[in-house]
Amino acid sequence: MILLEDVIVDFPIYGSAKSFRTELLGRATGGFIRREGRRQNRVAVRALESVSLKLSKGDRLGIVGPNGAGKSTLLGVLAGVYAPRAGRVVIEGRVSPLFNTAPGLDADDTGYENIVTCGMFLGMSRAEIEANTPAIAEFTELGDYLNLPVRTYSAGMIMRLAFAIATSINPEILLLDEGLGAGDARFAERAKARLDSLIERSSIVAVASHDEGLIRGVCNRAVLLDGGHVAAAGGVDDVLETYRERRSRP
Amino acid sequence: MIPQYDVALADFTNGIRAWRLWGRLGWQEIKRRYRRTVIGPFWTTLSLGIFVAGLGVVWASLWNQDPKTYLPFLCAGMLGWNLVQSNINDGCTVFVGGEAFIKQLPFPYSMLVWSGVWRNLIVFGHNLCIFVLIGFYAGVPVTAASLLLLPALLLTSLNALWMATVLGVVCARYRDVQQVVASLLQVAMFVTPIFFTRDQLGPRFARFVDFNVLYHYVDIIRSPLLGRAPEVWSWIVVTGMLCLGGAGTLWFYSRFRRRVAYWL
Repeated sequence: MILLEDVIVDFPIYGSAKSFRTELLGRATGGFIRREGRRQNRVAVRALESVSLKLSKGDRLGIVGPNGAGKSTLLGVLAGVYAPRAGRVVIEGRVSPLFNTAPGLDADDTGYENIVTCGMFLGMSRAEIEANTPAIAEFTELGDYLNLPVRTYSAGMIMRLAFAIATSINPEILLLDEGLGAGDARFAERAKARLDSLIERSSIVAVASHDEGLIRGVCNRAVLLDGGHVAAAGGVDDVLETYRERRSRP
Repeated sequence: MIPQYDVALADFTNGIRAWRLWGRLGWQEIKRRYRRTVIGPFWTTLSLGIFVAGLGVVWASLWNQDPKTYLPFLCAGMLGWNLVQSNINDGCTVFVGGEAFIKQLPFPYSMLVWSGVWRNLIVFGHNLCIFVLIGFYAGVPVTAASLLLLPALLLTSLNALWMATVLGVVCARYRDVQQVVASLLQVAMFVTPIFFTRDQLGPRFARFVDFNVLYHYVDIIRSPLLGRAPEVWSWIVVTGMLCLGGAGTLWFYSRFRRRVAYWL
């Protein structure tokens, strides 16, 4: 179960030259970029403004909105990566964020070594990893390449390895940012099946994406974010409809 | 800012519990650093050996010292100093270097600190080989006091843990601190009695050495290596630093841990 109440997230901006900051402030409209601190000498970007949300077992939430609307930040809050500046966050259950599909992936380590390291970062135990390794190896179709350093792989091969590791976890709460890339088209079908099964065995799923097909295929509810606000929430079709209307408006 | 003591403590304990992962990370890092080199991590050892042998012989004759007492003294001091220095320097980059993880995953940040401390212990183990060689040549005695090396390493590592946590957080926010720390340490190496004994300083300056915390960190490692028990005052200072530093870190970390992800 995940509960967000009036969550506010500000990103501080450091190290930008003063003139640049002034320019930024001059251009900012709607208080999106604001000054704070006693002497108004700090600059912060408000990424989320009073976001409330409740996710329970079985929920598959789609998060849509234009670039910079706060989709990834919202996922970060759901993951427990960003502690909000104000508001309440309750996360019950183990969260598995798959933003970067292969945390800890090292180009100099072999494919098998990386399966262990990434798997551990994604919260798997050694026993789980060992049990999953044959399935991962089989899915990647990398064969003996898995004994070679990842440095020798093509970009597509690395993607396949990362995808296979990421989709072997058993998440309670699964968070996805823009789905998961799976390399070449030949893999698309098998990758889809694997991703579907991952989503199937998760208790709660939240996906941020621009891909309406993915949202429609996976989700049973959606939120539309705009400028850090929740602009619409509810059924997938209604929210996507609202989103389309807003975009077509001049 | 509201302190979150439970969050800070949970970060520490969960960090320890993730020992399989940080153990692996530390180990892989060592392996990685020297991949495709012939003698691997022994390069650090070899360069330390060359340094000690070269400087040791020259300075022993400069200061009219017996190389058989000066070389082991210098080598043991450098071993202790290297451990302390790399723990502090690595502490500065521990969270900046872990940005990819901190921004992607919920996990105990202290795990990154543990992996660095563990890595430096492994390096220390490698460097120990040089001391064994020099000790053999110079006939350094192995006594009951040599066993004090183990508690000394434990104390050093626990101290490194809190230092790296604080420095890691501060350096995430203020990137200049890392440079400041690195330059100060460089000077400290020459000011701290490592190349010379505190007695050589003469009575006027020798008493200031008691206030040099780094000296005590080096001493508790150096003395057991040389087969002597460290000064009692050194144990007191190092243990005191651990208690004070640990408490201070809890205070600090419970307030600023939540900000780290934003600063990276």
